Amino acid sequence: MNNKLWSVLSLLAVVALLGACAQPAPPAAPPAAAPTTAPAAGGCKDADRVPISWSTIAGFYTDAMTSIVKDFESKNCVKVTIVGIDNAQLYDKQIIEAVGKTGAYDVYNIETAEKAGFAENGYILPMDDYIKANADKVKYDDIAPVLADVTTKYKGKIWGLPYYTYTQGQFFRQDLFDDPTEQAAFKAKYGYDLKPPTTWDQMTNVAEFFTRKKGAMLKGQPLDKDFYGVGLMAGRFQEIQDELSGMILYKGTDWLKDDGSIAVKDEGNLWALKFYVEKLLPYAPPAALTVTYDGVMNQMQDCQIAMTANFFLDQWPNAANTENKCPGSKMGIGVGIEKTTYLGAFLMGVSSSSKHPKEAMDFVAYMAGQEAQTNFARQGGSTTRISVLKDPQFNTPESRPKTAHFAYLLQVFDNMKDKKSNLFYSPYGAKLYNAMGPIYHTAAAKEVTPEQAVQTLYDEFVKICGGEKCTVNK
Amino acid sequence: MESAATKNPGPATKARRTMSDTWYSILLIAPAMVIILFFALVPLFYAIDVSFRQADLTMGGIQGFVGLRNYREVLHEAYFWQSVRTTVVFTFFAIVIEMGLGIFVAFLIHGATVGKGLIRSLVILPLATAPAVTGLFWRYLYDTQFGLYNYFLSVLGLPWQPNWLGDIKLGLWSVIIFDVWLWMPFVALIALAGLQSLPKEPFEAAELDGASSFRVLRTLTFPMLTPVLMLVFILRTIDCLRLYDSVATLTRGGPGSVTETLTYYLYRQGLVFFRMDYASTMALLFMYAVILASGYALRPLLARLAMRAGQR
Repeated sequence: MNNKLWSVLSLLAVVALLGACAQPAPPAAPPAAAPTTAPAAGGCKDADRVPISWSTIAGFYTDAMTSIVKDFESKNCVKVTIVGIDNAQLYDKQIIEAVGKTGAYDVYNIETAEKAGFAENGYILPMDDYIKANADKVKYDDIAPVLADVTTKYKGKIWGLPYYTYTQGQFFRQDLFDDPTEQAAFKAKYGYDLKPPTTWDQMTNVAEFFTRKKGAMLKGQPLDKDFYGVGLMAGRFQEIQDELSGMILYKGTDWLKDDGSIAVKDEGNLWALKFYVEKLLPYAPPAALTVTYDGVMNQMQDCQIAMTANFFLDQWPNAANTENKCPGSKMGIGVGIEKTTYLGAFLMGVSSSSKHPKEAMDFVAYMAGQEAQTNFARQGGSTTRISVLKDPQFNTPESRPKTAHFAYLLQVFDNMKDKKSNLFYSPYGAKLYNAMGPIYHTAAAKEVTPEQAVQTLYDEFVKICGGEKCTVNK
Repeated sequence: MESAATKNPGPATKARRTMSDTWYSILLIAPAMVIILFFALVPLFYAIDVSFRQADLTMGGIQGFVGLRNYREVLHEAYFWQSVRTTVVFTFFAIVIEMGLGIFVAFLIHGATVGKGLIRSLVILPLATAPAVTGLFWRYLYDTQFGLYNYFLSVLGLPWQPNWLGDIKLGLWSVIIFDVWLWMPFVALIALAGLQSLPKEPFEAAELDGASSFRVLRTLTFPMLTPVLMLVFILRTIDCLRLYDSVATLTRGGPGSVTETLTYYLYRQGLVFFRMDYASTMALLFMYAVILASGYALRPLLARLAMRAGQR
C-alpha cells in the first residue's frame, strides 16, 4: 500500500483510539463505614497518593481553602485537585458530570436548595454511617443545628457536611445612624428615633430618609454624588430571591407549603414582592437592577448607600473594608429585618461516581471539621461550627475586620431555628430556585407587575413540579 | 516536450494506479467526514431523537417516546415566542445598522488617500478579542456607577444618565450598540475587500461618459458588490440569530427579559433546568428556521453563481 493510504488509515486509527479512550469509568466501590484513621502521610510517595477532586466556586471561597487542603494532604496519603468553577456555572457543570456518572469530581460543592435534588437522584452518597463511625472526628452536633438540618438532611439521612455559610443578616453605615444632625432630622420627619431598622416599615422610612441627590447634605457635608438609602440585589440573578426570602418567611408563608402545594402567589408572597418593588427599590441606586451581592458591596465601599436589606453576612470582610475606602464611615451589623432572613451554606457532598469515596469522605470530614474551620475562620471564612463561631479569638478588636459577624450568625441561627423553608427539602428545589430569580427580576425591572410576576412564577412551578403540588420530603 | 510530472510520476499518480479515482477521493475526505459525523451529524440525530422523548436530566434522564408533545408545548410557550421576537428585533436592527455603517466605513477607507493601512488595522481591533471578553469590558463601560459612558455624558454637561443595562427601554439597544461596535468592522472589511477587487475599466468608462457619482454607485458599484454584500448579510444574519455571548456577558437576558434571545433561553432550558427535550426541540425549530431563511436568502446568489458558471 502506498504512503498516502497509510497516512489516511493512521488518522482513522487515531480517531478510533480517541473514541475508545472515552469509555466510561467503572462503577465506584461503596464507601467504607469503619472508623478511618488518617494514614501518616509523611512517608507517602506522590505516586502512592489517592487522587480526588473537589469542584467548588472559584474565588475567595476556594482561595481561602487552598492552604487547608494542603494541611489535609500533609496528613493523608491523598492528592486533592481543586477545580474552581464560576459560581454561575457550578451547578450546571456538576449536574452534567453527575448525570454522566463520569466521576470527574469526587466531592461536589452543593447549594442548600440543590441538596435534595442531588440526594434524590443518587448523585451523592449518604454519610450517616461514616459520621456514626467517626463521631469524634466529625462532631456533627457542633454544626449549627438549623444549618445542619437545612443543608445536610433529606429523607432522614445526612448527605454531606457544610463548610461555609452565606446566611443573611444586615449591614449598615453606623456613622450615619450616630450622627446628631441626621438623628434630629429623622425624628422631625418620622416622629421616632433614628436607628438601624428592625421592621420593614422602619426599613422603608430609613431608606427614604437617606436617599438624597448630589449637592444635598449628609452628616453636614455636601454630597458629591447621589446617595441612596438601600443597596439591593435586584439584578437578573438568583440573589433577588434570597433578598425576598426573609420577607416571605416573615409573613409566615413559604414558596411551598408543608404538603408541597405551591404558595408563591399567596398573600404573603405577593406582599413581599410588592413591598420590595414599591417601597425599597425607589430608594436603591439604578444599578440595583443589574447587580448582585458584589455590586452592593461596591456601592457600599463607594459611599453610595446607607445600608443593605437582608444581606449575606459572609460578606462582612468586604463590608468592613468600606471603613478603609469611604472616609468617615463606620460599619454596623444586624441580625436582619424582623429577625427573619435567608439561611444556607455550601455543602460538601461525596459523588456516588467517586472512585475513592472513603478518601473523599475523609476529605469532607476534614474540611468541615473543627481544625480546618478554625483556620478557615482566621482567613475570613464564614464557618458553620458553633464552637468556632463562639471561639474568643474571633471576638477581639483585631479580628473585627474579618469575623465581627460571627456573633450575629449565632443569633440568626437561633432566630431561624423554626423557620426552615420547605424549598430545601424538595428534589425540585434547585430548579425552583433557579426559576425564581429571573421572574422576580421582571417585576423589579417593571416589565410586569408583581401580580403578573407571581402568577408567572406559579405557572413555572407547576411546570417544573408537574402539577400543583411539589414533592417535599422533610 | 514531456513534462517533469510525466517523466517522474509522484505518489499521487502511483495511488491512482492501485485504486479508482472515486475510492481515492472517498479515502481523502474520510477523516473529515468521520469528524463531521461524530461532532455534527450524530448530535443532530440525537437531538432529533431527544426532541420526541421526555428528557429531564435531573428527573429520570432520557425516557420514553412522547410524539409531538415537546413541539406542541414549546410552540405554546409564551417565553419561547417572546425570545423569538427579541431575536428577530435584535437581528433586524443590528443588521441594518451594521450593514449601513459598515458599507459607509468601507467607502471612507476606500477613498482615503493616506493612512489606509493604519485605519484598516484600527477598524479590525474589536474583532481581535473574543465577544465574551469584550462583553465584560462593555458591562463596565455601561455601568451607571463607574461606567465611562455616563461619565462622558456628565462631562459634556448632559443631565441624562441612562441605566444602559437596567432600563427595559434601553436594554436591547445597549446590546445592539455593542454588537454594532463588535461586528460593523467585519462588514466594513469584507465590503472594502469587495470594493478593492472591482475591475477599474467600467468605472473609467463611466467617468469618460460623464456619469454622476450617484449613478455610478447605483448602476455599477452596488450591483457589482451585491454578491459580497449578500454573503456578509447572510453570515451576519445567522450570527445575530444565534446571539448568545453578548447577552450572557452583558445582561443575562435582562433587564426583565427584554434581551433574552432564543439561544439564551435555549441555554437556560437545557443547562439550567436540564430540560433537554425542550432545548432540543427549540434548537431544531431554530435550525429549520435558519436553514429556510438562509436558503431563501441565498437563492438569488446561488442562481447568479450558477449563471456565471453556465456562461463559462
